[in-house]
Amino acid sequence: MRPEIAAKLAQLPPDERTLLRPLVHTTSRFYVAAGILAVIVLWGITAYVLQWRFGLGRTGLNRPEYWGIYIIDFVFFIGISHAGTLISAILRVSKAEWRRSITRSAEFITVLVLGFGAINPIIDLGRPDRLTNVFFHPHLRSPLLWDIMSICLYFTASTIYLYIPMIPDLAIVRDAGIKAPGFYRFLAAGYQDTPAQRARLERVIGVLAIVVIPIAVSVHTIIGWIFAMTLRPMWHSTIFGPYFVMGAIYSGIAAILIAMVILRRAYGLGQYFKPIHFDYMGRLLLLFSLLWFYFTFAEYLTAFYGKEPAEMRTFWAKVAGPFAVPFWLMVICCFVIPLALMAQRAMRTPRGTLIAGISVVIGMWLERFNIVVPTSVNPRWELETLGHYLPSWVELSILAGTFAGFVLLYMVATKFFPIVSIWEIKEGREESVRSVAERVGGYLPEPVAPSGGGD
Amino acid sequence: MTRWGMVIDLDRCTGCGACEVACKSENNIATVAPDQADMGRAFAWMRVMTEVTGDFPNTTMRFMPRPCMHCDNPPCVQVCPVGATYINPEGIVGQIYPRCIGCRYCANACPYTVKYFNWSVPKWPASERAHLNPDVSVRPKGVIEKCTFCDHRLQRAREDARVEGRELREEDYQPACAEVCPTGAIVFGDLENPRHRVQALKTDPRATRVMESLGTEPKVYYLVPRA
Amino acid sequence: MTPNRREFLWTAGAAAAAAACQLKDYQWSTPLEQEGWAPGIEERKSSVCLVCPARCGIRGRTVDGQLVRINGNPLHPMSQGGLCPRGVGGVQVLYHPQRIAAPVVRAGARGAGQWRGISSQEAVALLAQHLGALRTAGRPERLAVVAGYCAGTMDELWRHFLRAFGSPNYVTDEYPDGSDAVMALMHGIPRRPGYDLENARLVLSFGAPLFESWWSPVQAFVAFGGSAAKPSRHGHFVQVDTRFSRTAARAHEWVGVPPGTHGVLALGLAYVLIKEQTFNADFVARHVTGFEDGVDAAGRPLAGYRSLVLRNYRTEEVSAITGVPVERIVALARAFAAGPGAVAVCGSDVLHAPDGLLSGLAVHSLNVLMGNISRPGGVLFGDDPPLAPLAAPRLDAVARAGLARPPVARAAVPFGTGDPAPQFAAAAAKGGGAIEALLLYYSNPLASAARPEDWRAALEHIPFVVSFSPFLDETARFADLVLPDLLPYERWQDAPTPPSYPYQVWGLAQPLVAPPDKTLATADALLALARTLGGSIAPSLPYADMPTLLQARARGLFAAGRGMTLGDMFERTHYRQMEERGWWLAEQPDFDAFWKATVEQGGWTDLLYDGTDPARLARTASGHIELMPETLLRALRAEGKDRQPYAALRASATPAATGTAPFPLRLVPYRLSTLSSGTIHLEPWLAEQPSLALDVHWLPWIEVHPTTAAALGLGDGTMVWVVSARGRCRARLRHFPGTASGQVNAPYGLKHPSGELANPLQLLDGATDPLTGLAAWYSTFVRLERA
Ligand SMILES: Nc1nc2c(c(=O)[nH]1)N[C@H]1C(S)=C(S)[C@@H](COP(=O)(O)OP(=O)(O)OC[C@H]3O[C@@H](n4cnc5c(=O)[nH]c(N)nc54)[C@H](O)[C@@H]3O)O[C@H]1N2
Ligand SMILES: Nc1nc2c(c(=O)[nH]1)N[C@H]1C(S)=C(S)[C@@H](COP(=O)(O)OP(=O)(O)OC[C@H]3O[C@@H](n4cnc5c(=O)[nH]c(N)nc54)[C@H](O)[C@@H]3O)O[C@H]1N2
Ligand code: SF4
Ligand code: SF4
Ligand code: SF4
Ligand code: SF4
Ligand code: SF4
Ligand SMILES: [Mo]
Repeated sequence: MRPEIAAKLAQLPPDERTLLRPLVHTTSRFYVAAGILAVIVLWGITAYVLQWRFGLGRTGLNRPEYWGIYIIDFVFFIGISHAGTLISAILRVSKAEWRRSITRSAEFITVLVLGFGAINPIIDLGRPDRLTNVFFHPHLRSPLLWDIMSICLYFTASTIYLYIPMIPDLAIVRDAGIKAPGFYRFLAAGYQDTPAQRARLERVIGVLAIVVIPIAVSVHTIIGWIFAMTLRPMWHSTIFGPYFVMGAIYSGIAAILIAMVILRRAYGLGQYFKPIHFDYMGRLLLLFSLLWFYFTFAEYLTAFYGKEPAEMRTFWAKVAGPFAVPFWLMVICCFVIPLALMAQRAMRTPRGTLIAGISVVIGMWLERFNIVVPTSVNPRWELETLGHYLPSWVELSILAGTFAGFVLLYMVATKFFPIVSIWEIKEGREESVRSVAERVGGYLPEPVAPSGGGD
Repeated sequence: MTRWGMVIDLDRCTGCGACEVACKSENNIATVAPDQADMGRAFAWMRVMTEVTGDFPNTTMRFMPRPCMHCDNPPCVQVCPVGATYINPEGIVGQIYPRCIGCRYCANACPYTVKYFNWSVPKWPASERAHLNPDVSVRPKGVIEKCTFCDHRLQRAREDARVEGRELREEDYQPACAEVCPTGAIVFGDLENPRHRVQALKTDPRATRVMESLGTEPKVYYLVPRA
Repeated sequence: MTPNRREFLWTAGAAAAAAACQLKDYQWSTPLEQEGWAPGIEERKSSVCLVCPARCGIRGRTVDGQLVRINGNPLHPMSQGGLCPRGVGGVQVLYHPQRIAAPVVRAGARGAGQWRGISSQEAVALLAQHLGALRTAGRPERLAVVAGYCAGTMDELWRHFLRAFGSPNYVTDEYPDGSDAVMALMHGIPRRPGYDLENARLVLSFGAPLFESWWSPVQAFVAFGGSAAKPSRHGHFVQVDTRFSRTAARAHEWVGVPPGTHGVLALGLAYVLIKEQTFNADFVARHVTGFEDGVDAAGRPLAGYRSLVLRNYRTEEVSAITGVPVERIVALARAFAAGPGAVAVCGSDVLHAPDGLLSGLAVHSLNVLMGNISRPGGVLFGDDPPLAPLAAPRLDAVARAGLARPPVARAAVPFGTGDPAPQFAAAAAKGGGAIEALLLYYSNPLASAARPEDWRAALEHIPFVVSFSPFLDETARFADLVLPDLLPYERWQDAPTPPSYPYQVWGLAQPLVAPPDKTLATADALLALARTLGGSIAPSLPYADMPTLLQARARGLFAAGRGMTLGDMFERTHYRQMEERGWWLAEQPDFDAFWKATVEQGGWTDLLYDGTDPARLARTASGHIELMPETLLRALRAEGKDRQPYAALRASATPAATGTAPFPLRLVPYRLSTLSSGTIHLEPWLAEQPSLALDVHWLPWIEVHPTTAAALGLGDGTMVWVVSARGRCRARLRHFPGTASGQVNAPYGLKHPSGELANPLQLLDGATDPLTGLAAWYSTFVRLERA
């Protein structure tokens, strides 16, 4: 880092100093990591070029296994995307003060992963060149179309929701003058942090926080409906909407946890991501692992209890058939491990939550797999031959490419934007102690006035 | 109101597969390489499905020629984001190949798994292009296809009938599979027209439809074998 | 000579074709761009399907002169507008990528795949030069013709040519199945039986793959479809088979039996008929000899059919041998006897067994017992259409000398035509110049023969080998000259229905598309060759071309004063009824109109069958149907093992019911109803999905019962070698519960991508039925090895 920049950085108050450091100082480890990821991304792109040229024949897909890795990733990524916006919005709305240092990193996950979620169904198209037909010949009865709309909406909303609360920080960077002044002047949009501006900002954020929640819920509900609206065994289920939303938030929380741990280590943000944060997030994770079990149990019990032959073929294929391994692995990753770990306070540490988080992320990917594939290969008509699915190297490369791409972009983002909201931290220090005291006061009954004596 | 439909007498079908091949020939259906076929990428708009039960010598086999059911309430049409699969006023469920974006949602929505996807560019040995039927377009890479009730024949038949200034007769419009069946197992016509055999056959005590409970209202009826 | 450019192209082209085995073509061919397509001039013409021996009527739809669709010809009385899948897929035969459309001569070592293109005139000249040399050298008999199945005028043309040329060496595969031998013995009618399936009340088929590769599957389909419309129990199909074939699957009932026990089961039924007195005693009394005990020609006492059956085929014993439960046997027999119109159909494979002829007699004896001969729904003996004969060949001295010499392959069998091809190969393989020129027509022995090594040796000893195959098949690749025939949809040919269809139908195949101008239909090539050879041969075949020849023969039909050009159901019934009342009137005023109608409608037919004519029951010396034919008794005595007809089967059926180490499994080869040639994938649409019961594609497979396979530790889908004492072939093992345990069902005709043909017939132990000379197809045992 150039000396004058270092000097400038030194003059800044402590919060700014630590939180802006990543923007100007980059370790060689970062470059190495970025390099490796970039290579994987390029590899994925090559694979896709092949697929574009020769068609989906290059995948392991077939009849009746029409949907595979791409659709799984689609559902998975969009699920992860519920991390930020939803979590941070809920926390904001519920005035959870401990949120202040987490929200930004979460919102970034949302915006970035959403993109990768959205391209997967396009990669899955037989005719990506005709994508625009969706706008020229929209067929409004198709859940797929609802989905396209809700994803676009969600993307815009969450981008705005990421940007607006970032304006004060952008202004800080601008004023610190440590990096590309023009760029930040433009983004900061003349924000001077006057009380009036601050008030307006707070109001807008308040409104946004409320608006994005239903949008986020709608997105994954509709993804659930894409499956539920078909008559396929173990897809045609009414709880798929809520089931998917719950799963989405679950994987989202896990993703944030992983991000927090890494950021904490990489940028030494120890005092911003404190044990208490991991404790609270761990509790959330615990709650959702129970919710997940509840939903999953309900889903499979109803299928099983009905004993509808077609349903049962798929059911057994998952529980005790060719898909038993991914199925039980899913149960272990989504329920057993997180429950076992997060149930004990001693484990709700960075390390504990990291393990739990990773296991949940893997588990949720498997859940998407167990939803998409077993049903596809078990056609409803018993005379139809059973399908089989072995993803091709093209699919796996693209899978790797998208994951790498996401991580890479996230890393780069931390180089341009403070990954912890500086002003909110400050505000926290200045305001919240008082406001919380007042609020708590507000909950309590008014002290009773002593009655005057009379003679 | 015309509603085109089919009645297949399972008491007659010998599973010879002439209908399959007639369909392939009429509708320019491509063959795929062995490895592709093993992967489950072979096409058969009409497929004689079978179920073998019991061990030698007590083995039995069920045959079931399976075209598209041309559901009156077709799930495939519901879900298509671009309306590339549609149902026309006479109940024929068709495909618009140039519009299909290849999402395969319809294929997943079809409870009868009758839809086939062009995973790669359909290939023909140069010499074999000669026998392609000019009435039926060859599908490009990446789109869905399926039985169309040979509706290109309907258009022809209509024109002819109009030219001759008479109404359409049952024999004017017969799909390739029905035309070729050597046992006369496939009967095709207007389910609403008393002058067409299907109209009576569809109410035969032996008549059933596949997965009627789903409410898809298939227009392909099967006459179950007599005991 | 230095290869010119044309030659080079050919070398490349032909080599490519030879190398690119069918599969490759379908993998690597280029995609299709459809620019500038517009429906063009459309035409529909009648013809006949020549893809298999059944000869169904077809109607081709051409657009701008190219054949796009093949439909059934509703006017054809046998197929009635129906077709089997192979017939429908014929367009893929016509436009097959491996088709060669111009003559080529060998330009390198034999089999090296180097060719030089020549004109058809040059080709004929070359033929004339080589064959002429044989005649001038006074060795005409050293010319041999090996022809695959070719009925009708084409067959007679070859025979005429060879007679005029002076060679007795005509080896033809008439799809020998021995049934003609059975009829010759019992009825004195050396002709394959026809079956009136359409009117039969009960069809009891012994291994005949009625719905698969039978003489005429479509005849069976039409009958079966019709039966569904009739009141129940009428047109009831029962299939006796050694594997769960598609015919067995579709028949109303099926009876699984071990290979080689069909005859025993038949006599088991006869036992019940006799015991319960339900056979047609009156008919037997009036028309049948050999039923009761008696004395033979030499006056020795002779046990009759009745006592032989009663003595040897007690139901329990039959049940023990065939594995069919006693009550089932009794029930079958009762159903068979329940009234007229029950017919027992003898599968060609019944006779492809060590005691095939005796089994054949046993099966047919059921029809005799019920007197179901020349009756509606029974066994009928049709006649050939009344065609005008070919001009008699003129024999010069050379020809007479040549014909006087013995043929290389003497059909040295007591009964029937036998199967001369293997003998021929064996003899020619010895060399010694017995054969100097060989013409192969519709024949690919290097791939199809049970002993291809004999054929390879034979070809090596024969200096001049010519193939007329339009495909560069295994044998053609080994030839010196390939003068490719036109394909079925390009040439004129007459196509009488096979004997299984008892009524007279003379189908006429006409070109549906314009033939390539570079080559000749083999018939025309032959006529041209005769002209070029000149001498006494030219006047022996005085026909400009095939159409002229066919017209000349059709005059016979026109003059016959009966029958009709093909017409719809109404016309057919109308004419039949007229003829039954002794009436007939000509549809057309003159021959030209008659010929025009015949061409347009696809042929000529006469549906009158006079069952009252005694000559349609028996033409034996005794004028009776003989259950104990003297000639047969003599032949059996000659064996010196004092075996008696019928009785003998019991002994021969029991042994080796199961195999022993090192070959524990029984091999049951069968023909796929989906393959139109035994040796090349002519129709990708069918090769892609060749089986109904199994999800298999293109490549050779075998069927084994899951438990048998499990015992061998072979999972579904493993590549295995099927090994017999004779050799081995590679195929994918598939589990199939319809296979008897300890049995390997092996479909034949499929190829590996390398072009390697998995031909189970090449594993056969070589056993034959000495009485008919037919190979035993189901007496070979094998083991399986992981490949
Ligand atoms: N598709 C097609 N059909 C054809 C031909 C063709 O090229 N393609 N060619 C024609 C020719 S040349 C011929 S020779 C025929 C061959 O056709 P067939 O002579 O009918 O022989 P396969 O079709 O092999 O049928 C053999 C059947 O006999 C059964 N079988 C096995 N063991 C025994 C036994 O011991 N006794 C009896 N009775 N049956 C047994 C088998 O299970 C099998 O079902 O097909 C003719 N039809
Ligand atoms: N693998 C295998 N071997 C077999 C059999 C089998 O089915 N499969 N069947 C056995 C039996 S029963 C028999 S009868 C023999 C039959 O054996 P073949 O008589 O050799 O019959 P195919 O094998 O059908 O070969 C016929 C050849 O004729 C050629 N051909 C096709 N169309 C035409 C045409 O229009 N004109 C001319 N001139 N030639 C044409 C093709 O090149 C084809 O290779 O094989 C026996 N061996
Ligand atoms: S053609 Fe007719 S008999 Fe043959 S499989 Fe099709 S429906 Fe059945
Ligand atoms: S069968 Fe399937 S494809 Fe055909 S109409 Fe019904 S749902 Fe659509
Ligand atoms: S694959 Fe084509 S037809 Fe089917 S739903 Fe998608 S766009 Fe519509
Ligand atoms: S109706 Fe036409 S498209 Fe449909 S299966 Fe029959 S032949 Fe094929
Ligand atoms: S049975 Fe033989 S002749 Fe008839 S259609 Fe099939 S292949 Fe052609
Ligand atoms: Mo044969």
